[in-house]
Parts: sequence; structure tokens; C-alpha cells
Amino acid sequence: MDIQAQIREQVGSHPVVLYMKGTPQFPQCGFSASAAQILKACGVQEFFSVNVLENPEIREGVKQYSNWPTIPQLYIKGQFVGGSDIMRELYQSGELQKLLAESKAA
Amino acid sequence: MVTPQQIEDWIKAGLPCDHIRVEGDGHHFEAVIVSAEFRGRMRVAQHQLVYKALGDRMQAEIHALSMQTLTPEEWQAAAKA
Repeated sequence: MDIQAQIREQVGSHPVVLYMKGTPQFPQCGFSASAAQILKACGVQEFFSVNVLENPEIREGVKQYSNWPTIPQLYIKGQFVGGSDIMRELYQSGELQKLLAESKAA
Repeated sequence: MVTPQQIEDWIKAGLPCDHIRVEGDGHHFEAVIVSAEFRGRMRVAQHQLVYKALGDRMQAEIHALSMQTLTPEEWQAAAKA
């Protein structure tokens, strides 16, 4: 399976997917830490996370997939939602909680 | 090392801005960008316009950029608030 197909399959088979540097327990970048924290604050206990530092092909591939040059990247129900700035904005306005509730993750 | 002024100039060269302010220490930057081009676009699409203006520099020279994008109307409303 090529990388783009692999990413499509990941975001398609999990309601919430976070591509990040490090893991939710041990994030290795401030933006990724903040993204994981926001998901927890929304009541998401379990989400599918991909540590791009362990997979350079995914790290580059996901940037092409979404036409978005930075990590972290959040996908809900297969849709690209945004990076950590947008996640914070959507969280503060309550929209992220709504999206997550609709995905049945929170 | 990249300066906030360079980032400001790069964004302005690729995107008409009503207002822009970039701050940072050479590694981490924060930008507030106001553009009429943002009208009618979702946040993701707004940020994509800024990334497009920065092009390959986003991969190579700029390590971390945090941004807030506003339409001229949102900018005015925020100034009054």
C-alpha cells in the first residue's frame, strides 16, 4: 500500500486521528502536546495517534494528503480539521466538542 | 536566522494583507494576519493561503509558526471588543 492509501485507510477507519510528534503520553513538540491536551479536555479518552517521528514517510505523506505543511494534524471522521491553532480556536468556541460528540469519540 | 520582518514580507508578497503583525525569537513565531482574501473561507483554507504564500520556506526555514487569521470585518469587531 502506498503512503497516501495508508493515510486514507488510517483516517477512514478511526473516528479521531492525531498525527503528532511523540505520543500523547510523551509529546516531543509543544504544538503536539497542546493538540493532545485539547482532545483530552474535550473528554476524548482514546484516540488513534500516529507518531510521525517514528515514520518519516507518513510525516511527509500527511503533509501532502491535507496540503498542510505542519504537524500536528487532526482528522475527525476522515475529514482534516486543522493544526493546533485551529484546534484551540474550535475548542474555545465549543465547535470542536460538537464535532467530537458527533463522531461519538467524546 | 529568520526574522519576524522576513516572515511578514514573505506573507505580504504572496497574499494581500490589510494588517499583519509577526512576532518571534527566530525559532517560534506568532502572526496575526488580516486579509480580505479570507472572506468566505473556513479557517483551514485561510491558513492554507498563508502557507501557500510562504511556500517551501514552511518546510525548511520556519520551524514553528502559530497564526491567527481574520477577515477585515472580524478584525474591526475584535478591535471594538
